[in-house]
Amino acid sequence: MEKDLVEYIAKSLVDDPNGVNVNMIEGEKSTILELRVSEGDIGKVIGKHGRIAKAIRTILSAAATKTGKRVVLEILD
Amino acid sequence: MIKEFEGRNEEEAIKNAIEFLGLTKSDIDVEIVEKEKGGFLFKGGKVKIRVHYDENDEEYNATGDPEKRIISFVSGLIDRMGLEVEVKVHGRRENRLELDLVSPDSGIIIGKQGKTLEAIQLLTNIVVGRVASDDYKVVIDSEGYKKRRERNIEQIARRVASQVRKSKGSRLLEPMNPFERRIVHTTLSSYKDIETISEGEGLYKQVRIMYRGDIDRY
Repeated sequence: MEKDLVEYIAKSLVDDPNGVNVNMIEGEKSTILELRVSEGDIGKVIGKHGRIAKAIRTILSAAATKTGKRVVLEILD
Repeated sequence: MIKEFEGRNEEEAIKNAIEFLGLTKSDIDVEIVEKEKGGFLFKGGKVKIRVHYDENDEEYNATGDPEKRIISFVSGLIDRMGLEVEVKVHGRRENRLELDLVSPDSGIIIGKQGKTLEAIQLLTNIVVGRVASDDYKVVIDSEGYKKRRERNIEQIARRVASQVRKSKGSRLLEPMNPFERRIVHTTLSSYKDIETISEGEGLYKQVRIMYRGDIDRY
């Protein structure tokens, strides 16, 4: 579910939706989501002073409220 | 125009295409490119489709009806957060669209101090920049939260102002976003013996309310 969410947001923000890739590593208490985008799109998912990345993380933790599991988003370049 | 989309099944792939393009099912022709059956344990299936559509349709929707695309982005977002929502248009002004998110989970949608709502609004406005002109703004509220918060901040501002008037000192408020800080500044702008300044860095700064005395500053 969280993987779909990150994919959806990232694809709406970038110029190259096909370059969006989310890898999910599921642990017992937390889930790590690794987001990769095309080289030129990195700034589009991070934003000035990390504003966009922060907004995505805020939305992710809201989505995780019901399941109670911690979700960590890592943006890889 | 031709574009490719993916989904766990055909239905989802078509849904993704419609949402992304802002078109209806009757506007597009769908061709299935790839079909992977799911089954083994948790591995889901995957369907890749190729969508043929008239570019004019997209252009029309991009410039003529950004509203439809904005609403579909917001409802798609909250849907994927696993929450139920109805996105309602609350108001329209020139270059400004006001949405209200009606949901049994509005508490989660709003978040602590409205932070989740702010995040949804921020992302939506960035996406809006891609489907509408740059000066188009979307304001998102949920169940009247922002109105309530506005009144609440006005009350806090007035209360703290009368406190520093008595103590002849200053007090720092909790961190607030630009919209909320503006409410503090404007609420107290008529208090001639009180001054307000924002302190700190980033989006969430703190307002300091200071006693300035009876000095005639003008």
